[in-house]
Amino acid sequence: MPNQNGSVYGLTLLCPIINDHRASPSHDLQIRAYLATLPTGPDSPFAIAPHTHLARLVVMDDVVFVGAPAREEHLKSKYLVFEANIDCPPHAIGTTGLDTYLAGLAMAAPQQLDAIWSHCTGYPGTANLQAFLHYMKACQIETTFFFAATNDKSVTQTLKALQTQRAVADFIATHQGKDPAELQRDFLAFSQKLIAAPTPKPAVPAPQRPMQTGGRNE
Amino acid sequence: MSKLNATDIQGFVLRGYNMPFARFCFLHFEDAESARKLVGALLSSITTGQLWDQGKPQSTLNIAFTFKGLVKLDLPLATLISFPVEFQEGMKSRSGILGDSGVNAPEHWDAVWRDETGASEVHAWLAVHALSAEALDARATDLFTLVEKIGGVRVLDTQDAASIVLDGNVTTKEHFGYTDGFGNPDYLGIVRKSQPGQGKLMPDGTWVPLATGELLLGYADEAGELPIAPMPHLLGANGTFMVYRKLHQNVGTFRRFLDEWSARYGAGDAAAKEKLASKFIGRWRDGTPIEISPNTPDSAITQDPNRSTNFTYGSDTGGARCPVGAHIRRVHPRDAFGFQGRLINRRRITRRGLPYGPYAASDDNSPDMDSVERGVVFMALNASISRQFEFVQQQWINYGNDAHVGNEKDPLIGNHMPGERFVIQGDTNPSNPPFVCAHLPNFVELRGGDYFFLPSMTALGMIAMNLVDPR
Repeated sequence: MPNQNGSVYGLTLLCPIINDHRASPSHDLQIRAYLATLPTGPDSPFAIAPHTHLARLVVMDDVVFVGAPAREEHLKSKYLVFEANIDCPPHAIGTTGLDTYLAGLAMAAPQQLDAIWSHCTGYPGTANLQAFLHYMKACQIETTFFFAATNDKSVTQTLKALQTQRAVADFIATHQGKDPAELQRDFLAFSQKLIAAPTPKPAVPAPQRPMQTGGRNE
Repeated sequence: MSKLNATDIQGFVLRGYNMPFARFCFLHFEDAESARKLVGALLSSITTGQLWDQGKPQSTLNIAFTFKGLVKLDLPLATLISFPVEFQEGMKSRSGILGDSGVNAPEHWDAVWRDETGASEVHAWLAVHALSAEALDARATDLFTLVEKIGGVRVLDTQDAASIVLDGNVTTKEHFGYTDGFGNPDYLGIVRKSQPGQGKLMPDGTWVPLATGELLLGYADEAGELPIAPMPHLLGANGTFMVYRKLHQNVGTFRRFLDEWSARYGAGDAAAKEKLASKFIGRWRDGTPIEISPNTPDSAITQDPNRSTNFTYGSDTGGARCPVGAHIRRVHPRDAFGFQGRLINRRRITRRGLPYGPYAASDDNSPDMDSVERGVVFMALNASISRQFEFVQQQWINYGNDAHVGNEKDPLIGNHMPGERFVIQGDTNPSNPPFVCAHLPNFVELRGGDYFFLPSMTALGMIAMNLVDPR
């Protein structure tokens, strides 16, 4: 099935950017300028709206031919590329799954979405939800090969699992070697507290590692 | 594959000399002409990879240059900019990538590595290895006389290193008491007594040498490509890159940590201490791999070249015998990451090194044991510093994602931040319990170093005669 990997759904949109010679700066530059200021942490629209594992927005100007002999090729338009890994279990596809996700986005961050997509041809805005859903789905590209940044767990399950892993590791480190009765008492109290703990918010940055990462080494 | 020309390759690249004494001299060139004159004068006495039919010489001599040294030697700009970027930047500039922060940050390095003005930056490394302290002194004295005579070259600093002698015997131990020096990789074409576990793992479970281009420039590497090398080809071919790191060892901290934590891990007796120490490295302190012999050291294994490095982790994916975060499992994961070890073959390094400083006796209880100058001079040879050494340091020493241990670092040489842990997976056997060592201190601290280019004999001649021509 395209777009689906277990319960994770790979959403790929290709939205043509308005080509208006009178616009200054041009619409693609305006998207770039806006995206450069868009928060990437807990204030990101994709963190505020539910069910996003990872989202990426790219302005695609044109294609660059790699090879020899060099050939000049062009796209018909500049495109805004939106790629996301979202929670969308297989049984929800074709019914309400994608609609639910997109509607969640439109409701959580209408201003940001409109600020980005209003530079795209034919974008109706989030105010008209049905038109918005229709537009976004019309721009969707079906793909069987997308970047899957997650395992087969939902965003909530992942956040809860990380919280549990950290808490249990801390518990073990502070309780190893304790008397069994004390250990059991503490563990029962610990597990109740953990179960009751609220799910951590998404996109909260991990503690800073004093390590410069990225680039060719990873 | 053709046989390598051992007479063109510096001996230090092709073999560990196994000599108990060494002196590393760091030179500063005042001008290109003097520097070239010195290289020319040394040329005939540089030790090559030629076999020693008459037995070991009394001493050896090798030479390597930093990028700044090559700039000072006035190599053509077109040649200079063809060197790999990480070599051009040097190790200090790469501290962010390597995780050399906190106590390991350049501001804490020895003075010789901290030059900011350029007036005394390190341009060359001259290494003397010797069979005796007398031979070392004699060779070094000759060398300094020559340097003085030529002029225009200053010896900024020297670093002595020597095998640790215990009960009158020269050992391969380091200051924490571990037997070191197992398991350097084998490479195609290099004549060496090879043993299983030292090259690359094949699908049928045998081990064969790695591609020559993982060590030497000018030959195909494991991807079938020539490693990035300077122009012209002749300047790089048969040369390699060296990472020099002076690693200070906090022996007091290490011993106190073992004392304290072995009392929680086990009974706090010698047996618990040794078992805990073995879990850190993945070898008992005598060198026996715990993957093969998890319960006891076994000299029959360490003495047998067919067994001492011949093991895999496939049947121990949970780390019950060798913890998944143990030092040797991190830096040479063998089959641990699947794909029959093929993810590993491009990340191997050849290590040379010797301890420096006095060995602390087992009954040494001095409170300032950490501040005594001692550690290991770590030198790694590889064709690509960024793909090999830097990757291992960044991803496998100072991170744990590939080993599925999250942010955990190498317990022994990782650059620990407050609160870091080392998990010993263990099993249900009461003598091998799961255990978490928390609050890891920095057992090892970086005191400086740099990236060097170790040229072939031909290349040294070209440098000496100012004949490097990138066209």
